[in-house]
Amino acid sequence: MRKVLKSTLLATSILFAAPAFAQDVLHVPNLSYRTGPFATSGTPLANGQLDYLNMLNERDGGLNGVKLDGTECETGYNTEKGVECYEKTKGNAVLTQPWSTGITLQVLPKSHVDKIPILAPGYGFSAMQDGKTFEWAFNPPSSYWDGASILLSTISDGNLDNLKGKKVALLHLDHPYGKEPIPLMEQLAAKHGFTLLPIPVGLKEMQNQSAQWLQIRREKPDFVLMWGWGAMNGGALTEAAKTKYPMNQFLGIWWAGHDADLKLVGEAGKGYRAVSWSFPNNDAKAMQDIKKLVIDAGKSQAAPGEFDTVFYQRGVLIAAMGVEGIKVAQDKFGTKVVTAEQVRWGLENLDFSEARIKELGLDGMIPPFKTTCADHTGHAGAWILEWDGAKFIKASDVMQADRAAIDPLVEVKAKEYAEANKPWPISTECK
Amino acid sequence: MLYRTAGQFKTTYEADHALFPVRQDAILLGVILTLAFVILPLTANEFVFKALLIPVLIYTLAALGLNILTGYAGQLSLGTGAFMGVGAYACYKIITIFPEVNLLVAIALSGFFSAAVGVAFGVPSLRIKGFYLAIATLAAQFFLVWLFEKWAWLYNYSASGAIQVPTIEMFGVVVAGPNAKAITQYYFVLGVVTLVTMLAINITRGRIGRIWKSVRDMDIAAELVGINLMKAKLSAFFVSSYIVGISGALFVFLWRGAAEPNLFDIPLSFRVLFIVIIGGLGSILGNYLGAMLIVALPVVLSYLPGALGIPISSSMVEHLNTMTVGALIIFFLIAEPHGLARFWAVLREKLIIWPFPH
Repeated sequence: MRKVLKSTLLATSILFAAPAFAQDVLHVPNLSYRTGPFATSGTPLANGQLDYLNMLNERDGGLNGVKLDGTECETGYNTEKGVECYEKTKGNAVLTQPWSTGITLQVLPKSHVDKIPILAPGYGFSAMQDGKTFEWAFNPPSSYWDGASILLSTISDGNLDNLKGKKVALLHLDHPYGKEPIPLMEQLAAKHGFTLLPIPVGLKEMQNQSAQWLQIRREKPDFVLMWGWGAMNGGALTEAAKTKYPMNQFLGIWWAGHDADLKLVGEAGKGYRAVSWSFPNNDAKAMQDIKKLVIDAGKSQAAPGEFDTVFYQRGVLIAAMGVEGIKVAQDKFGTKVVTAEQVRWGLENLDFSEARIKELGLDGMIPPFKTTCADHTGHAGAWILEWDGAKFIKASDVMQADRAAIDPLVEVKAKEYAEANKPWPISTECK
Repeated sequence: MLYRTAGQFKTTYEADHALFPVRQDAILLGVILTLAFVILPLTANEFVFKALLIPVLIYTLAALGLNILTGYAGQLSLGTGAFMGVGAYACYKIITIFPEVNLLVAIALSGFFSAAVGVAFGVPSLRIKGFYLAIATLAAQFFLVWLFEKWAWLYNYSASGAIQVPTIEMFGVVVAGPNAKAITQYYFVLGVVTLVTMLAINITRGRIGRIWKSVRDMDIAAELVGINLMKAKLSAFFVSSYIVGISGALFVFLWRGAAEPNLFDIPLSFRVLFIVIIGGLGSILGNYLGAMLIVALPVVLSYLPGALGIPISSSMVEHLNTMTVGALIIFFLIAEPHGLARFWAVLREKLIIWPFPH
């Protein structure tokens, strides 16, 4: 008994002693979700992010010699947990990653007060593009409205007037995220004379969408666009395969282009397309390093076969954007341990040029983009990916969104947001 | 010894019916109130306020509302989440339409909206009981959440379908919105919860409370002695939904800062119901104890591995957390099926005669 007690004491004393060796660390917390109904989508993304940070720690000893700490706080995509996690992690964080649009909604006003930048690559509000209103929020490299615009231009062969008289269904999650593209699509539908048919999928109905697909069969839309997430993607794809909906008329946003969801239907999903600002490239140098230093070293939580997938490698890119923001801040302010406010400047001055992407070892994985003080998105554009029955392949060159349609709407919605949350601080720094 | 009642004589009926016939109870309450009003605010940091104290108080209030209906009047309800939503959306509309209204007034008013909705869905309770009533309130749950999603006027036609709390000042102090200090919000919530608790104690101890209890214990007998069942049941629905409504308004305005319709879905109703059942049906104290177990304990537990330096992943912490809390719930229910409040009552009885049980 005494022996057990002794060893326990020893063990705890070692555990307590460990933080004594603490050194300079940059905290990049992640409000991840490896549990709950969205875990299928959230796990590979979180793995990709963590593995990239660990790879940098292994290969370069961190960023300019400062270790990166990608501590996760589990939210289960639950907005209530999100607040808790944000409060828990914000203390020494240089940026925060809220993930769910619902959590972003809650964190966004607080981030202005706490002065912590929000990094929301490819999600959050599209209106976050307006850096004057949303000084602390960043959604590079492309916003949902960019994605919507590219999808519409894909199905209309580049000219939205071709859609005149046609019916486009929007199968979306009934959640702030799923409703994101509706304002833009409604506007474009009115302008170009096509019918938009929003079909909401409730959180409870994600796995059983027979009602929604019955409606699709009855209405016979010319195209179905999907704003799905987590278990909803798999549900929709199996339902589409079952009802023999033509896959070449079925397209999704980047979060609905997940290998694991498509593998459920396999060959039957052939022809399904998704717009994506990221593309997996196993031969890129950064990916090779991750494979060598993290995965093969047994330091990754990634499941076998996850490495090749779109989502895992997108996680890597998301981490890379955050790290690059920190690096730009380090260079500008000449200090290794940057503060959250300095990182905000860094994220505002991201320059993912062709050369820089290559330097980072991410070639071919992301189109070049550049953020500025007024433009927090950067508008990299996106590729159209197509499921060939076993994996996603590139089906187009980088496509650009219709800025003339989006930018005025961004201005209106940003103004609305500031109006509804009066008094909302508007940055005066940039023109 | 600590709880010795020897020497405390009651010479009048008033003294015998006092809220605290035993002096030590009053002292204990005094200590708890000092802790809540003075010591905690001095020591707590923002995380403790935001993740522990404020949510526990708000959930307590919601559970208190449900407990009046289920614990005192015996009407099972599964619509608590939706009634909280009614309070929250009502408060949001009042604040956005009349920005000059005092937040306290807006919250007090929003309770009446949920009370009205609660009474409307309480009407079937006159004819059906038990599980059947639970299904009727379940209908309220589904219908109202659907309404929050579809009725765009409720969320001022915002594109995301969510409501967001603007910055609200009261007497020159920011009480709600992103600029509000956590300590201000804590005092605000604490004030409301204390006030409502006092009211609830007095209602449930008095004439109305006894009417509710008689209806709960046997409604036919209650009717035979001249109690108007309709009045009794609907008043229970009214008071209960009123309290649940203001807790919903506090939930969004003083804590969350933003809310989407899904928030008020059935998991929230169940959460509040669990607090009531684990805390103890028909008890005021139980709501506090239940809320601490269901709301605060998981947060504290999730902090433990990190504080002890045990390196396990955050999702594993979450899994362990769910398992631990689940096991604790089962343990407490086996140890004391009547809830934590009863647990405390038994403990207190033992303390009174300790150390000489016989």
